[in-house]
Amino acid sequence: MAQSFEEISAADFFYRNRDIAGFTNPARAIFSSLRELVENALDASDLSNIPPDIYVRLSQEDGAETEEVAVYKMRVEDNGSGIPPRHIPSAFGQVLYGSKYKLKQTRGTFGLGGKMAVLYGQITTHKPVFIASSTGTPRIHGYKLMIDIQRNRPLIMERKDYLNRERWHGTIVEFCLEGDYYRAKSKILEYLKQTALVTPYANIIFTDPKGMFYRFTRGTAEMPPPPKETLPHPYGVDVENIQRLIRVTPCRNILEFMKTHFHRVGENIARRFLEFSGIREKRNPKKMKPQEVVKLVQMMKRFNGFLPPDASCLSPLGEELLKTGILKELKPAFAAVRQRRPATYSGHPFVVETAIAYGGNIPKRNDIQVYRFANRIPLLYDEASDVSVSVIRSINWRRYKVSPETPIIILTHVCSTKVPYKTVGKEFIADRPEVKKEILNGIREVARQLQRFLTKREYAESQRKRLGIYDIYGPIISRSVGGIVGLPQDEIQNLIDITLKRQ
Amino acid sequence: MSEQSELARNQTASIIRTKIGEPILRQLQKGQVPELEILSRSMENVDFDENAKLLKLGSKKTTRRMSKLSEIRPFMQTVLIANSIIEAKREGQVVTLRDVYYANVSPMTGSSQKTLKSQEESNVIIQDLEVMTGLLREQMGIIADAKGSLVGPLTIKSRGDVIPCSKQGDGAWSIPSMVDDVEFLDTSAKFVLVIEKGTAFQRLNYGRWWKKHNAIMVEGGGQPDRGTRRMVKRLNEELGLPVFVCCDADPYGWHIYSVYRFGSMSLAYTFEMLACPKARFIGISASDIYKYRIPKEGLLKAEKADLKRAEDMLKYPWFKDEFWQKELKLFLRRQQKSEIEALSRHSYKFLAETYLPDKLREHGVL
Repeated sequence: MAQSFEEISAADFFYRNRDIAGFTNPARAIFSSLRELVENALDASDLSNIPPDIYVRLSQEDGAETEEVAVYKMRVEDNGSGIPPRHIPSAFGQVLYGSKYKLKQTRGTFGLGGKMAVLYGQITTHKPVFIASSTGTPRIHGYKLMIDIQRNRPLIMERKDYLNRERWHGTIVEFCLEGDYYRAKSKILEYLKQTALVTPYANIIFTDPKGMFYRFTRGTAEMPPPPKETLPHPYGVDVENIQRLIRVTPCRNILEFMKTHFHRVGENIARRFLEFSGIREKRNPKKMKPQEVVKLVQMMKRFNGFLPPDASCLSPLGEELLKTGILKELKPAFAAVRQRRPATYSGHPFVVETAIAYGGNIPKRNDIQVYRFANRIPLLYDEASDVSVSVIRSINWRRYKVSPETPIIILTHVCSTKVPYKTVGKEFIADRPEVKKEILNGIREVARQLQRFLTKREYAESQRKRLGIYDIYGPIISRSVGGIVGLPQDEIQNLIDITLKRQ
Repeated sequence: MSEQSELARNQTASIIRTKIGEPILRQLQKGQVPELEILSRSMENVDFDENAKLLKLGSKKTTRRMSKLSEIRPFMQTVLIANSIIEAKREGQVVTLRDVYYANVSPMTGSSQKTLKSQEESNVIIQDLEVMTGLLREQMGIIADAKGSLVGPLTIKSRGDVIPCSKQGDGAWSIPSMVDDVEFLDTSAKFVLVIEKGTAFQRLNYGRWWKKHNAIMVEGGGQPDRGTRRMVKRLNEELGLPVFVCCDADPYGWHIYSVYRFGSMSLAYTFEMLACPKARFIGISASDIYKYRIPKEGLLKAEKADLKRAEDMLKYPWFKDEFWQKELKLFLRRQQKSEIEALSRHSYKFLAETYLPDKLREHGVL
């Protein structure tokens, strides 16, 4: 992407096309900024393996409280790994610079979101962003930055180091932006609630411009194992990927190149593949002509001897944590969770997690509510186009004793090194057959558990009702039958009681 | 007097005990949650025997299980009312359907419902009890409005009083609800004339028509009550008198004939006790309107309800014969109806001296 637009800078490109990154209007912009910074914060603590404490504050800058578009100051603090000082200016002041361009599961993938927020803040308020970060060293490094949009370079306005006696680590980002909090409020709260659900080991605190204080407390200190970095799978690469690898590879022959740079490709598989492709093992990749590279990629797609990717690079939440999150945020009467086994689509490994929550504090709507997550991010927009929703619509819910009035929430979580988003806005997942199948099976599994629960409860209910009914009708029946056969009521009632006890 | 029904009447309590109470007790003693079986009164369970012209309940049964949430309420109502009937008998009381409702409607502890929602519910339970016990509710001591009367050369005994039905002046003897208590002592009558309308009955009574033709005249006040029907049946079966039914020339009148003759599908189980299968129809039929040349001015235009009823009657199993199909179709085609009194267009004496003698002669009783 960066290469294709070298004529204008990356920052310039996104400045001109900010709609695609979710900055369509002031309400959406404030929502997207908050979301991107919170996700960066969560990613940072996943790296350090410390349960995150996230603090978010929104305050109105220009004083007067209006319901209209206004300038807000946004501050997000985390206790994550922190950013080494020499990376700070670029991490926030240079678009498409970052630590997320490797193949492992992270919340964002463009390395764009945080900077996009800063960029948006700059173009709407022309104020610098303030960053303070420490990796736990004796110093905290503070920067005031702006972005040189045309050159895609950070401009350091001010730099100051602070003493870090407590060896604090983490990052603080504070900047101003134009936004419409009141239109975005419900989405922001929904986003934080769902984030707290899918990140049950995080404390999240949010104070809004009116001084309202929202607190999402962690339900556990246990974190899922962090994802490992992985090499690309041959099925999942394109010509551009290969060319970049060729540029940096130390390998002098294609056999070594295959073994070194691809996921689950060893000596044997590499040999068989090269034989299949008709490429000499000794061919120096640096000397390959463009059409040779194209052929290599085509052969990679055609060869069926590659092993499927493994899922060690993925970090699904896990059944236990997902359940913890559901119980703490939704307080249902019943919850079932299920993690499917890893699967792949086009060379990308993925894992689907599903859950169903029923009753308790879940309100009755005349429809099934769906919470969608991808790589532990809640997806809140474009629900109708999402694969999970189309799967849910295709299921005959009556088979599971679910009617439109049944208060249930269905959760789907797709984890992948490359979530198949349909659009750049990353709000809904495309209809990939492999993904669809996993979601369908996952939902069926939890729906069956719900059905068993409902059946059991229905039975208990009817038992209770029956016993209550006997209390009402029993005395009248025993008196009447006693009168007919000429026996005392007590004697008949005794017989009835004994008989019922045996049932 | 029918000995069988005398027995049944006096043994109401013991029949309810053996047919309802004891089965329940036995099931309880065996450790089963009790249930009652009742012959189904639904239309699908009613058979019409074309040859014998008899209506009968089939063998389909419905159950009322105490173990079923949906059946325990009617189960309770059945035993509640059965017991209440026994209590009334023990106290020597004759009661009405309405009495039974009021005696048994009560709140239930632990429920917002009452034992009975309305009299409709207790009426239905009483019908079930009739099917279960094979007793008419009248035999169980439950009566309803009686409105029929009778006049003619017949002496009866009721509650010890000997009553000559020929000595009623310008009035007539009122037929009671519980006809089984009436004992026939003596009669010289040759046949029974059932006439639909009170007015026509009175006119014939003033003219002492019954004396001239040696007949017993019965009137049921339109749609006959069960007492009147049971009386007609007993006159026919116990005294061997032929029964003739005369009514208005419209679907309503013909329906009244069919009630005497067959009863109704919904009360098919009463056929044996109430229907008089030998009753014969002597008009006025649709074709009689034209045969007796009732003048145009005496005819009424059929109304929508008449046409609808005639359409329905075409489908009654007992109107499936050639005669009735022809008559009903004629009526539907001409869409004209007539009252008995319209015969007076010819002359005031026409009904008594021409029409009835004519018809009875056709049937060979005059």
